[in-house]
Amino acid sequence: MLVSEFTDHVPGWRIIAEPAALDAAPWPAGSHVVRISSDDAYVIGSVEPTVPPDPHAIVTPELGFSMAAVLDVAALAEQHIEWELPADRPALAQGQIAGVPAKLVLHADGSTQLLVACAARHELEGRLA
Amino acid sequence: MSRVVYDGTPIEFAPGDTLAVAAVRNGEHPARGGTLCLAGDCGNCVAVVDGTPWVRTCQTEARPGMVVDRHPAGGHPSTAGPDRHAQVAVRHRSADHVVIGNGASGAAAAAVARAQGDDVLVLDAADGNEVVGVFDGPTIVVRTPGGVDQLHAHHITLATGAAELHPVCPGNMLAGIYTSKAAEQLLAAGVDLGRTVTVGNDLVAIHGEVAAVAVERADGTVTECDSVIVALGSAPRDLLARMAPMVPVNVVGPAAHAHALPACPREGVVCPCGKITVEDLEGVWRKGFNELELVKRASLTGVGTCQGGVCMPHLRAFVADRSGTEPQPFTARPAARQLTMGEAAAGYHIDTFRRTPLHAEHVALGATLDRFGGWFRPWHYGDPVAEYWAVREAVSLGDVSTLGKMIVSGRDVVEALERLYPNHVHDIKVGRARYVINLTERGHIMDDGMILRDADDRFTLTFTSGGASTAEMWVRDWVETWGLNVHVLDRTVSHGAINVTGPLAGELLRMAGVNDDERPKFLQHRRLEVAGVPCHVMRLSFTGEASFELHHQIDRSVELWQALMHLGEPLGIRPHGLQALFGLRCEKGHIIVGQDTELDSSPRRVNMDWAVKLDKPAFVGRDALVRTAELPDERRLFGFRMDGPAPLEGSAIRVNGDVVGHVSSSWDSPLFGHAVLMGWQKRAPHAQVVQIDGRDAHVSEVPFYDPEGARARL
Repeated sequence: MLVSEFTDHVPGWRIIAEPAALDAAPWPAGSHVVRISSDDAYVIGSVEPTVPPDPHAIVTPELGFSMAAVLDVAALAEQHIEWELPADRPALAQGQIAGVPAKLVLHADGSTQLLVACAARHELEGRLA
Repeated sequence: MSRVVYDGTPIEFAPGDTLAVAAVRNGEHPARGGTLCLAGDCGNCVAVVDGTPWVRTCQTEARPGMVVDRHPAGGHPSTAGPDRHAQVAVRHRSADHVVIGNGASGAAAAAVARAQGDDVLVLDAADGNEVVGVFDGPTIVVRTPGGVDQLHAHHITLATGAAELHPVCPGNMLAGIYTSKAAEQLLAAGVDLGRTVTVGNDLVAIHGEVAAVAVERADGTVTECDSVIVALGSAPRDLLARMAPMVPVNVVGPAAHAHALPACPREGVVCPCGKITVEDLEGVWRKGFNELELVKRASLTGVGTCQGGVCMPHLRAFVADRSGTEPQPFTARPAARQLTMGEAAAGYHIDTFRRTPLHAEHVALGATLDRFGGWFRPWHYGDPVAEYWAVREAVSLGDVSTLGKMIVSGRDVVEALERLYPNHVHDIKVGRARYVINLTERGHIMDDGMILRDADDRFTLTFTSGGASTAEMWVRDWVETWGLNVHVLDRTVSHGAINVTGPLAGELLRMAGVNDDERPKFLQHRRLEVAGVPCHVMRLSFTGEASFELHHQIDRSVELWQALMHLGEPLGIRPHGLQALFGLRCEKGHIIVGQDTELDSSPRRVNMDWAVKLDKPAFVGRDALVRTAELPDERRLFGFRMDGPAPLEGSAIRVNGDVVGHVSSSWDSPLFGHAVLMGWQKRAPHAQVVQIDGRDAHVSEVPFYDPEGARARL
């Protein structure tokens, strides 16, 4: 088994704001921030984050992701990932996994989480089985 | 000794034998004749092995119980195979440096690379790693005993050596002919070749009926034999180097050496794979195919199993002789070896078809699901006509979670949307919505949707389900191009959406806790709780009836759907699928972009000039629309009505027998009792009566249903 069971609708928040505002944002304790791009932060956790100092920031609940723990990242990469994983951790890697758009959150402690849109979770689950 | 079954007859093989060697050991040709190289360079030993055709038996180790069947004489084997194929495993691997070929030059190249600190991977067919293709990337596709490897390499060294030349002469497709290295291999394996004769470039012909019995040399001597060993020299085995011209491949050793072309062939089979003779080449040459690539295409020489491995030197010699210029080898294309469909598909996936959060609800309701616009969507729930009437007469739910949904915000957001869309945006009030079309720079319709104003500096945009995947890129690209300050967040897969539609839709909302005074009016939107679920309620209409799209976080979709279905029972609620929806909107004359439009459909062609405001100074597509506004343009989308069953979408529309267009939408209207259609007339004068399926269809004003739009405003 390459990944654990998926959890749908992982509670979190999505914040689109100026990169500097996101850089300086005080994220809630216990949350985990996935920086999808310079202006896009996905804050995993139940507590609503403080709106960064950007008057036009978009802050909205994000419940569209499904998450699983990767149990064997090397095997997952060998069997299902055409692109090269980042060598350094922590890192976010985004691309197709078994042909499904997904994200890998590579933590500094060596653990890895797999994020995929709930809408495509069943497809990825089937392909990884 | 162990046995394999060859054409139904058990034959013995020795340990280490390939299937081809086992055949020769038993006095048989592994296929039906032709020179054997036993090096994988030709197709003269291919057979059906355990049900898989086109297997090179010289590269396949014999194992007890294997079943081998020769390909049919004069034809190809069936490629049908078993009904279900086992999935072929794929491994994605990477290396700094991949060396293909583990001979002397390959080993030397690998040693040099390792000394430089490279991570080196050496691949050789003899070790079970058969390279079948080199692609841009570079990516090397390798067939292994365990499946297929896709190797991603920074450097590739090709050390595949040279391939021995096959003879082209009368009798060259007989059995009993071996290249010198094949003969060495057979003799080393203890195979008795009988009386052998070794010949070189003085070979004129090989005599025999089925197998070689004598060779004739240029000096006229004829030597009787049981086996002919040909020593004609070699040519670079460089197929993989010619496969990906954009990939820098370092070719070393004999594969890189220049080899003289053989003498121009005069008679015999040049291409054993296709049984193409010198006479065939002369035929296409006489017809004017006077270049290597043209001779190849016209005669199909070089497109067979060995991909030119055997015939290329002789074909080049033929063209050089006729043209006076030595042609370069033609480009090679993957695969260098036959692959099963499973191997070719290993690691590749069809597009992902997403499921809405209500997928399980649809399944539980007995929906027939179809793949549409990248999603699994309910086509119908068993009775599309009943679903239609539920919308027209009562209330119905539709799952529109697949719609593209986006939030845009920022200092320049109004400016950006004014430039993106062809209608006015600045005058949309907070809480109001407007239908919009999206144009390409050429002024062609690429999508449509809604703009909903949430605040002075914030909007919600919707797009079609099919257009959603490119909408974010479209918005971002333009915003960045213009250097405007706008934040963009795609919500397509994060928000569910349920369309509550029908004359009793307002009543259902009332039962779900939405007071009449807070219910948005037509083209208004509001954030409300519906059945306890926070929703962004958008009042618009695609069905022609009062409609409320309830956009919400997708973790609440099932709860909201079930509550509405339950509350709506006394109102006769039932869900509707796409089949009913397409008919409902057809009666309203609402287009579906991509179905009723063509790639070059302008607003004028679909009678939607009203959605374009040319008084705006700039928007995507404006220049093209202005430039073409005065040009004659006869192509128009029309509404039609006709008696009898609705024709198939795509049916030809004819006027006086000439095809003038096609039907883009078609629906047997339960309400009208006749078919309503939309379709194209592509030239003027536009006819008022056309023929479809041999029946008359009459141009009709659209919308067919409720032209005043009163129903949507109920």
